[in-house]
Amino acid sequence: MAELKNREIAFIGKMTASITHEMRNVLAIIQESSGLMEDLIDLCQKTPFPYMDKMQDALTHIQGQVKRGVELTDRLNRFAHDSDETIKTIDLNDMVTHLAALSQRHARLKNVRLKAHSPGSAIWVKTSPIQLQMALFTGVECCLSLMATGGEIHLSPQGRGAKNLIHILCDGNDLEKIPFVESLFKSEKWATLKKLVECLGGSVAPDESARGIFIFLPKTNQSPPSV
Amino acid sequence: MKYKLLIVDDEEKMVKYLSKRLVIRGYNVRTAFSGQEALAAIKKNQFDVILLDIMMPGMDGIETLKEIKTIAPTTAVILLTGHASAKLDAEGRKWGAFDYILKPFDLNGLIEKIHLAHQHRCREHDSVAVYREVNAADPFD
Repeated sequence: MAELKNREIAFIGKMTASITHEMRNVLAIIQESSGLMEDLIDLCQKTPFPYMDKMQDALTHIQGQVKRGVELTDRLNRFAHDSDETIKTIDLNDMVTHLAALSQRHARLKNVRLKAHSPGSAIWVKTSPIQLQMALFTGVECCLSLMATGGEIHLSPQGRGAKNLIHILCDGNDLEKIPFVESLFKSEKWATLKKLVECLGGSVAPDESARGIFIFLPKTNQSPPSV
Repeated sequence: MKYKLLIVDDEEKMVKYLSKRLVIRGYNVRTAFSGQEALAAIKKNQFDVILLDIMMPGMDGIETLKEIKTIAPTTAVILLTGHASAKLDAEGRKWGAFDYILKPFDLNGLIEKIHLAHQHRCREHDSVAVYREVNAADPFD
């Protein structure tokens, strides 16, 4: 059953990765066609035509959106490839930054910004990248479910003592007015988060002093993967 | 001096727009939409730099690259790809690619790579010429 599940995940990953390649081609066509229009406008500088500046502005917007599209397809492609291996060595900082970027839109629906903080040096762990991302996302969802509109969620990975941890900290409006830990324990997402992190061999705990969540992960003393 | 370029990609619209932009900048550009078409063009013409897409139906970019290097060993090849990977970089360089660039690309960045690739090609060309000259003049031959 678990093998079938892994195959299903790998299949979704493979299809998604393939589509992101096609999306790159679509973006390349938009980039080159709008670029050509810019070139042609440049050639007309000596004989300006009506609304030339407006057209130039519109083309600049198109190029900006192409850049945005490229960033999104890169993230999606990486996410798709995360299912290539069920267990792999990853840098926790990198994974948290990646997950924050992927979940940004989800948080934006509540006007919340996700901020990933890196301690600098890499924290290498051998784990399931998909399950870890699911756990991090569920942690973010827990916070979002308790937060009013607006604010920030800070994600900070740390290598501490015998464990690695990811601190998810809520910084939102009117948070002090709710019994944070009590509400967290009542949240449906909390139970899911606990289960997910336990599957990774870790544990979760509320951060009682600062309205947040600690996700503890086992230290695997992993060295960086060879390229 | 503007170089002779060959763009090889099955995305016809992309090739069309890119070639027009390079022509506006004074380059002499030919296009091909498959590996086979590219090889036929290379057999008939000399190119300074070839821009070669990796993911093409039929003969893919790496297969085409191997063939290019047997027909025109000193021609510089820049691979076009959707996503960067260390494996691809290693594979491309193993078969003689000069560099690779991610699609969609900034045109100025591409032009910079084309210049570098051309310089590299000139150096390779000179080395081959010197090698031939030395061998021809070898008194022990």
